[in-house]
Amino acid sequence: MKHTEQIYLTPMPVRIWHWLNALGIVTLCVTALQIRFPDYVNVFGTYKAAIRLHNTAGVVVSISYALWLIYYMFVTRTLVKLYVPTLDDIKYGLFRQAFFYFFYYFLGRPNPHHSTPDSKFNPMQKAAYLMIMLVLLPLVVLTGFFLMYIAPLREIFVLVGGIKTLVSAHYLIACCFCAFLFVHIYLATLGHTPFAHFKPMWVGWEEEEVEDGTQEPAHGAGPVLPIHSVGHTAETAETASTGGIHVS
Amino acid sequence: MKTDVCKVILCLAVLMPLAGAASAAGTDNSGCLTCHGKRDIVQKGGERLYLDAGKFASTPHALIGCTSCHDSVTAAHPRDGSRPSKARCKECHAPIQTEYAASLHGSKATCNDCHNPHEVKPAIAVSGEYLNSKCVKCHDKGKTIKSHAKWLTQADLHLDSLPCITCHTGSKNYVINMTIENKKPNDPYGEFKSADYGELSALRPINGDISRLIDKNGDGIISLAELREFNYDARGKGMRLWGMMTPEVLTHTYQINEKCWDCTFCHASGSKAMQTSYVEFPDKNGGVTRVAVEKGAILDILYGTPDFYMLGTTRSTALNIVGALIIAGGMMMPIGHGTLRFLTRKNRKEHES
Repeated sequence: MKHTEQIYLTPMPVRIWHWLNALGIVTLCVTALQIRFPDYVNVFGTYKAAIRLHNTAGVVVSISYALWLIYYMFVTRTLVKLYVPTLDDIKYGLFRQAFFYFFYYFLGRPNPHHSTPDSKFNPMQKAAYLMIMLVLLPLVVLTGFFLMYIAPLREIFVLVGGIKTLVSAHYLIACCFCAFLFVHIYLATLGHTPFAHFKPMWVGWEEEEVEDGTQEPAHGAGPVLPIHSVGHTAETAETASTGGIHVS
Repeated sequence: MKTDVCKVILCLAVLMPLAGAASAAGTDNSGCLTCHGKRDIVQKGGERLYLDAGKFASTPHALIGCTSCHDSVTAAHPRDGSRPSKARCKECHAPIQTEYAASLHGSKATCNDCHNPHEVKPAIAVSGEYLNSKCVKCHDKGKTIKSHAKWLTQADLHLDSLPCITCHTGSKNYVINMTIENKKPNDPYGEFKSADYGELSALRPINGDISRLIDKNGDGIISLAELREFNYDARGKGMRLWGMMTPEVLTHTYQINEKCWDCTFCHASGSKAMQTSYVEFPDKNGGVTRVAVEKGAILDILYGTPDFYMLGTTRSTALNIVGALIIAGGMMMPIGHGTLRFLTRKNRKEHES
């Protein structure tokens, strides 16, 4: 038998950042569609409105990203621990997790990764989020910033190979973010219920299934770690993906 | 076809008297330029008496000769002490003058304030930068940027890429005119500025023809390959191409062009619009000679012109496809994985039980 336990995985600042970022990214994607294809798409009335909203959303995402970085680097100091894959993750974890997602999951096997506040992400999540948060997002923010001030920053454009190089990089990275949105939202439905991972990103508490008699391991000191039993369920063995659910 | 023949006949009818006048007036011009083409005359009567013979020769006015406008000049000039008369522009250009007089600008400046009759050239023989140089004589660039910035995103960039007349006249048929810009030797860290004839000649183009700096095979059309080769070399030589959107059909109806309030007037034309482009090469007399660029290629292909990009208009089709494939790849996860998830749902229920 299994019972469900609640674990505080997502502190409030991270939740605020996440939804602000989500709103910003979706706004950026939709406005970008009108900016790139104005002859086919008109969602915001005028082209100028789309550009101004795109720029505003870009600034909001940039500021929220800076706050996210400061929070993880200087407040909780868990950026490296949470987001950088270990050697073991690279050697075995990535393949183990990929096998699970693309093979064992379909056979009904359990998720090899168990989330805790200190190890929220599985190796594939770590690799993906590291690439997105520390490479792609800074790049898209930087190229976006340059594109907002083309005339004064013209020298930089020359250095990096011209405006088309920057526009192309900005556009292709944005496409990656758009693609990630589909993957991210889909994987979030792989919890023990389709909305199991959405709720904790709103309230902070992750509900997870634990075999009766299993003691939840406490890894280090998370922001808050009150693990308490809230009852027993007989849910499916569907597994963690985005938020770091611990399933036994 | 019939219309074309009619046009040719009409042109010949107009040009033949001009050619006749030119040959008849040729000696007249040289006689006048003997004195008025030399800087010494400035000391005798001021700058207004001097004209650059080279620049004048390239104007349509040179064809009709000095005495056509200054018809009261006598054989005894300047000993007779009389000041030769000057023709008024509207004597020949009445329709333009009427159009201009009725415009917002009509009471603000005379023809001569913008057009020096001794240097004037057809619009296609001058650069956008030259056109704007006439406007900034009265309209301070800084103030103009500020006033436009109230409603126009990146006003400074727009004013660098558009001659004022593109939005402030009823002109039409827009093309992209590119000029070669370079860093000046005395200001290597300064802004790019249009390269002049002397600077480009110093690069030793084939046969001394500066258009061959880009048009390597000299066929009169700049291909994408030639453009790419020039761009590749230009970086190392402190040069670049800069494009301006310029109308080919001009009017003198100076106005605030309502259609330009809507950004999509330029930015929503789709990738098939505004693919007609030229490279303007400076000539010795301060004008430019345009050489056509392979149609479409310049705006569609990455790195064709790395410094020219118009949002919404010059998007690359190739990049559109790559971007769509990336997004489609992301969608494959919910579609592919989701389908298998649905088909194997029993396995997870069995495992649970």
